[in-house]
Amino acid sequence: MEILSDVTFNIQLKKHTFCNYQLKIDEKVMTLTFPQVLQLRNKVNLLTSAENLENIIENENFVLLFIADRKHLVFLEIPKLLDLKEELAYCFSDF
Amino acid sequence: MKTAIRRQMTINTEVMDLLNEQIALEMHASASYLAMASWCDQRELVNSKAFFYKQAEEERAHGMKIFNFVNDAGGAALSPAIPEVNNEFEGLREIFETSLDQEIQVTQAIYKCFKAARNADDFASEVFLQWFVNEQVEEEDTVRSIIDIFDLMEGMPLKMIDERLPTA
Repeated sequence: MEILSDVTFNIQLKKHTFCNYQLKIDEKVMTLTFPQVLQLRNKVNLLTSAENLENIIENENFVLLFIADRKHLVFLEIPKLLDLKEELAYCFSDF
Repeated sequence: MKTAIRRQMTINTEVMDLLNEQIALEMHASASYLAMASWCDQRELVNSKAFFYKQAEEERAHGMKIFNFVNDAGGAALSPAIPEVNNEFEGLREIFETSLDQEIQVTQAIYKCFKAARNADDFASEVFLQWFVNEQVEEEDTVRSIIDIFDLMEGMPLKMIDERLPTA
């Protein structure tokens, strides 16, 4: 873990203060509360179900996602959406 | 990060997702019982209607119990969308048989949540779900007993059978 401390990823979710989390997607940095993180996890999980992914690919091929109680709007293409899902899953795994 | 998440919530995320599905299932069962109650109410099947109205309330209470638990454990309970409910039935016996199928489905879903909680070492959820495991045994038994009454009174007028059915 220490080795990765200097590496920056395109998508990163980090704890900022006790009740705030910082989500970085490319250059955009957003502050989220824990319920907002949970909401984002739920949204991303819904969007990345096989059926919905297929639907996105057949149509616009991207999603516009409201984050942090609609404070932020992000544009995500499929690979980035999957990266975000992975990052969220990692944060919630085996705590 | 993992420690941070652990401080915010005690419930395992996989269990939380399953419990959210369970909330939807309980609420759907409630809506379905309401349709059954209405069918009986329109035909003046007094005991059956009382039984199904009570079942509708009970299922909703189960859903709310899970809903509150998920939020109390730091998770996010989701208000479910209720899919379309069947309002057409062929007869009272069919209604009770559908009701038994529904209860069995709920039981299986509870077992799924229970297993997930056990596998994830989510002890709080496991203990919470124990109540539901026992409750489902009771629920299934009630409906089975009613179907037995139908078997025993086969051929009797519907109203007469209804008079012998429990209301709770």
